[in-house]
Amino acid sequence: MEIADRRRARRLVTTLLLVIAALWRVAAQEISLPNAPNSLKFGVIGDSGSGDREQYDVANQMTRFRAKFAFDQVIMLGDNIYGGQGAQDLVQKFSRPYKDLLDAGVKFYASLGNHDDPLNRRYPLWNMGGELYYTYARKNVRFFALDSSKIDQKELAWLENALKSSQEDWKICYFHHPLYSDGATHGSAVDVRVVFEPLFLQYGVNVVFAGHDHIYERITPQKGIYHFVEGASGQLRRGDARPSAMNAKSFDRDMSFMLVEIDGNQLSFQVISRTGATVDSGTIQRQVRPAP
Amino acid sequence: MSHTPVRVERRPASHFILEYLLALPVGCAVALAWANTSSESYYRFADATAFAVNDIGMVFFFALITKEVAEATLPGGALHPWRRAALPVAAAVGSVIVSIGIYLALLDYLGEHMLKSGWVAAVAIDIPGTYVVARLIFGRHPAVPFLLLLAISADAIGLAAVAVLNPVGDAHPAVGLALMAAALAGAFALRRERVKSFWLYLLGPGVISWWALFLAGVHPALALVPIVPFFPHGRRDRGLMIEPLPQAHDTLTQFERWWELPVEGVLLLFGLANAGVPLHGLEEGLWAIPLAALGRPFGILAAAGVAIAVGLHLPLRVGWRELVVVGCAATIGLVFALFFAVAVMPLGVLLLQLKLGALVTIAGSGLAFAVAWLLGVGRFAR
Repeated sequence: MEIADRRRARRLVTTLLLVIAALWRVAAQEISLPNAPNSLKFGVIGDSGSGDREQYDVANQMTRFRAKFAFDQVIMLGDNIYGGQGAQDLVQKFSRPYKDLLDAGVKFYASLGNHDDPLNRRYPLWNMGGELYYTYARKNVRFFALDSSKIDQKELAWLENALKSSQEDWKICYFHHPLYSDGATHGSAVDVRVVFEPLFLQYGVNVVFAGHDHIYERITPQKGIYHFVEGASGQLRRGDARPSAMNAKSFDRDMSFMLVEIDGNQLSFQVISRTGATVDSGTIQRQVRPAP
Repeated sequence: MSHTPVRVERRPASHFILEYLLALPVGCAVALAWANTSSESYYRFADATAFAVNDIGMVFFFALITKEVAEATLPGGALHPWRRAALPVAAAVGSVIVSIGIYLALLDYLGEHMLKSGWVAAVAIDIPGTYVVARLIFGRHPAVPFLLLLAISADAIGLAAVAVLNPVGDAHPAVGLALMAAALAGAFALRRERVKSFWLYLLGPGVISWWALFLAGVHPALALVPIVPFFPHGRRDRGLMIEPLPQAHDTLTQFERWWELPVEGVLLLFGLANAGVPLHGLEEGLWAIPLAALGRPFGILAAAGVAIAVGLHLPLRVGWRELVVVGCAATIGLVFALFFAVAVMPLGVLLLQLKLGALVTIAGSGLAFAVAWLLGVGRFAR
């Protein structure tokens, strides 16, 4: 073969590989959710507020995916701001990275973590109404944003009352410390579990989202409740997952965020990495439990 | 040449203090082992027993501590006259200021902002623990009551902060205040009628005082603190934490004798119910209490320096070297730090951090011995 032919062949192979890689990348960035017109669509981020470039990368991916999957709500799982907690920090670690989403009218509903300043519950863009724990409903879903850092009897009484009076099909609780986690650094917050879980079971909570461990985890249903850990939207502990029998899926190689869609009795989820790759996805059916 | 035998008065430390060395650490050790092997069952147990132990059982621990303070105000006591306590109180203020400063600065540096509300736990000095360490280092020496007064003063500041700054539940201060007035009036009336049975003080004014604090949102473990000073007592004090004479039958002494053993049980349960923390998985904030405690000797030295500069005097045979060792012994927070932690921090991971930090301060005993050895103080005098 002539040298010129060899060069041409090499160029062709290279071009083909680049095309395949681009197609694969586009395919990987596809939405695997049903994307039904009237469903509830929301994003999930946890341990996000580092202010580092990686947080901005995740935020940019969220914006890109929103073009295909028009979520209008994001729940925040705590440690929303690391380090300084002043006005400039709120800009650098929240309102600037998520500017495109905020400008598009996406509402963020925060819970606080151990690194957050409790005074930031009054930050208007987090829609906490000045409370450390609160509830709100969207379509057929009731959300309960809880404080897992300091759980007093008042919060437990409030939670029981709010769960009891909830009429929506789905009950979703989210807070910072995971009841179940295989993260090597922190792991399960068992002391929190023994006070929250009996109420969750008694009043039929369907899904729990938490952060704290800087990885993504999907836990096999525990006592019938689905648990997700998403603590890698701005911080990452690479290699921190130590999957045990309760672990259905974990991802600790890059940062990530979740997209969730609820349509009727079906909840679909997709977990997307900082580079836009889908690292987990699936669908769960609403558990039907006898009324308490 | 004949020698006249000198009669040396033996002043043994109280059984309560000596057995405290066993009861609390045993409870803590069992709790740590349990929490780290079968965490869910441990936390269920701790959750179920916390109120009975912390809010009711500890009433009698604080009552025994208050008894020591009340007796110390009698002739011969470390607090008689009151001005003798001025220097240790000043040193305690220095200790508290430096501890809080380091605690808050460290948490700010670590970005553990939620933990800041637990600052009261950083000021705690364990009274029985420091006493035991001080006695082992100094024997009978004026540094021991100095350290005890310092610890009592620092804890009094902490208890006041717990009472005022951390209301529990839905407080009804007006009702609580009225009930407390009734409790104090009842205790005063019993004292005036020369009632000697401590049971009547406990079951009458004591119970009312507990309800008063509970309704006022103040930690009810302090219920007997305002009542115990009304108990009829002896004419003189034999010293802080000293076993009473066998012939002593005053109400305070009877109260101490009756409650010594049950309180050891309470301390065992207190350790069991509160010291179970995971030994891994907690954030760096757990170091805030031990590091704040490490700053305490500097606060004590600085405050003592200022106090001496304005005319106060160190006790006889207490110099700067002794003061450094006293400061090191004061780094032990243990049972008081644990109590303050559970009093101010609700359940959750932050409380676990505070608790582990409180337990770590037991290392202060080793520090005190090491520094005493280095400086040649007390039993290490060269």
